[in-house]
Amino acid sequence: MKKDLSHSRRTFMKAASGFAGTAMFGGISFKAFAQQAQALAPADHCFVFAYFGGGWDVLLNLDPRDPNEFTAERISETRILPGYSLLSQDPTYPTMPIQPAGSNIAFGPAVGRFANHFDKMALVRGINMNTVAHEVGFRYFLTGKEPNGSAARGSTTATEIVGQLYPKMAAKPPVPNLAFGIETYNDRYDGYANALRVSSSNDLLLTLAPSPTALDSEIEKQLIDMRGKPVTCEAQLYDSRGLVGQYQDARKQVRTVLEASLDRYFRFDSTTGDPPAVAMEKSQTVERYRLRVGSNGYPNDPRNSSAARAALVATALKKGVSQCVSINIAGGLDTHFGTQLTQANNQRAGWNALGDLISDLRESTHPGGGTFLDHTTIVVFSEFSRTPLINASGGRDHHITNSAAIIGRGVKHNFVFGASGNVGMSAGVVDHNTGLPNPKGFQYLPDHVIATVMASAGLDYSIMRVEPLKGLMAGT
Amino acid sequence: MKTLKTSLVAVALVLAACSSKPVEKPEMAGSLETIDMGNHPPMVKLADPETNQGHVGRKPRRITVAQLRESILTTTGRQWSQINNLAASLGQADYALTVSESTEANLVFAKFLEDGAREVCLATANADLNNATAATRVLFPNVTVMNRDFTTMTDAQVQDNLQYLAVRFWGQRFNDDEVGAWTQTFRAIATRAKAVNQPAQAWGAMCVAFMTDPRFITY
Repeated sequence: MKKDLSHSRRTFMKAASGFAGTAMFGGISFKAFAQQAQALAPADHCFVFAYFGGGWDVLLNLDPRDPNEFTAERISETRILPGYSLLSQDPTYPTMPIQPAGSNIAFGPAVGRFANHFDKMALVRGINMNTVAHEVGFRYFLTGKEPNGSAARGSTTATEIVGQLYPKMAAKPPVPNLAFGIETYNDRYDGYANALRVSSSNDLLLTLAPSPTALDSEIEKQLIDMRGKPVTCEAQLYDSRGLVGQYQDARKQVRTVLEASLDRYFRFDSTTGDPPAVAMEKSQTVERYRLRVGSNGYPNDPRNSSAARAALVATALKKGVSQCVSINIAGGLDTHFGTQLTQANNQRAGWNALGDLISDLRESTHPGGGTFLDHTTIVVFSEFSRTPLINASGGRDHHITNSAAIIGRGVKHNFVFGASGNVGMSAGVVDHNTGLPNPKGFQYLPDHVIATVMASAGLDYSIMRVEPLKGLMAGT
Repeated sequence: MKTLKTSLVAVALVLAACSSKPVEKPEMAGSLETIDMGNHPPMVKLADPETNQGHVGRKPRRITVAQLRESILTTTGRQWSQINNLAASLGQADYALTVSESTEANLVFAKFLEDGAREVCLATANADLNNATAATRVLFPNVTVMNRDFTTMTDAQVQDNLQYLAVRFWGQRFNDDEVGAWTQTFRAIATRAKAVNQPAQAWGAMCVAFMTDPRFITY
């Protein structure tokens, strides 16, 4: 904190004249600055990374099989047992794959309302994960780079995206990279790309809500005015590289965020003190995501449930708070010993929440034109899948062949890329340009999926060291 | 021969360590003023901006979370209760998931610093108000407080205290123009603090201003 500012007047004059045109804080009050500040605006291209924790059973979601074809009698031949009949204790589960009218995609019985959006998504089936270890598979998909041992290599994809896009953005979101209950890494970008890691909505509220220690409003105003007072020649010189200006901008953003009372939009469990318009918007969110505990048949905890997290994602994107949100949307899937119903129930909570999120985004108008979903890419993944056969304990173990869903901008819609094998659900071998099985083709890894997401957004994907899956990208 | 020398040195060290005579410490009164270093070599002259792309000296840096923790403690004598909980959001690396310390002066840092400054500064100001021994006060050690009213302070007294705080928080004094502006602000704040009967907010708010000033968080 000790700066030597004892330079000669000549030195000051030289430097001050050099950047007088670019650093004119002097004479402009903080309030005027705040008015000039660009209001929060949603990013032109938003990203969501939704993680299903524990390793999902793809037979129940993205890579189903017909139980009439893959019967118990044929398991020595197919090594696949869908086991949908084991869900029959709950009549809300279909016992056959779901294929909505007009859909080119068949879904497993646990996808719930997610299947309604078949026309806005592409599935990737038969991905070779190269691992059946939780941390490795999880970090592999988060970064698009195979870990060293279990240690993540490189930045998370969300960080890569923010790292590349944020410096070019005119209206910079206050929390560009938000990670909710999920790991995040940054190995090569400045701090702006770091994710704000939150483990609950409370952590996010701390950022967006007024300080817990309040000052008298008039005193607060005096402080704000003083911060906007003209800065000295020495201070301008000291800031010739912009760090102080960056901090001043950040404080300006804090004011913008606080003045917009953004925290209100994330307090799903209360409308106390909300203006009518905000209360109405929140009640719509509460209805859409069924956020109420124990009443009106709405089962979702408004603070910590899959649905609440999905609502948080939508709010963060729509209010211009974040550009990239990574979220642990569902957990409890490591069902070595659990029943098929446990796996299905835990999955369905996440899929329903995602389905509601997609509905929300496709029904909300983006200021840049079209709907929010037209401006958003959602990647849904898990660290690996579960064995196509049921083990002796009635559960399923870890399996190397995985699937993923990509929804919204940048990919073909109502489309399936690749396929897993019909014997033991082996990893697919396809033509990367078409996604069709081809014995002379290649396998594809999480690297390819992430490179495709990056490439489809016009970003540099060279760090993945693979080419994107051209057959998956929109417009090919 | 070499062994003998080593043994003698070891014996001498043991004798010195066992000596009952206390080690005399040089008496040095703490001072917030700059210290004359006497024969300190001359400082390297800063580059001419014309030959340094318009800049003078190196690029300023934001303090790390560890430095912030120490700075708050050093300047106010108390710690912000949430600093460890929020360390990751403030930029501290955990070397498991985040391998580099972020020293970005971003929104999250600015917001949390403001929260922390308010907590620490108002607590310090309240403690000072209840401290009858002026010399041990942190925010206004040389001020005679009458009825918890700071509006009776003269301009000279306010400026003296502001200069003291500037050195305390930033390690440098105000120039004359700036101290005038801060004095005006303090006067308005002190008047308001008296009106709403919140005397701790007078110097407490100024402490927030010092702690959230760029000079506190950069070096």
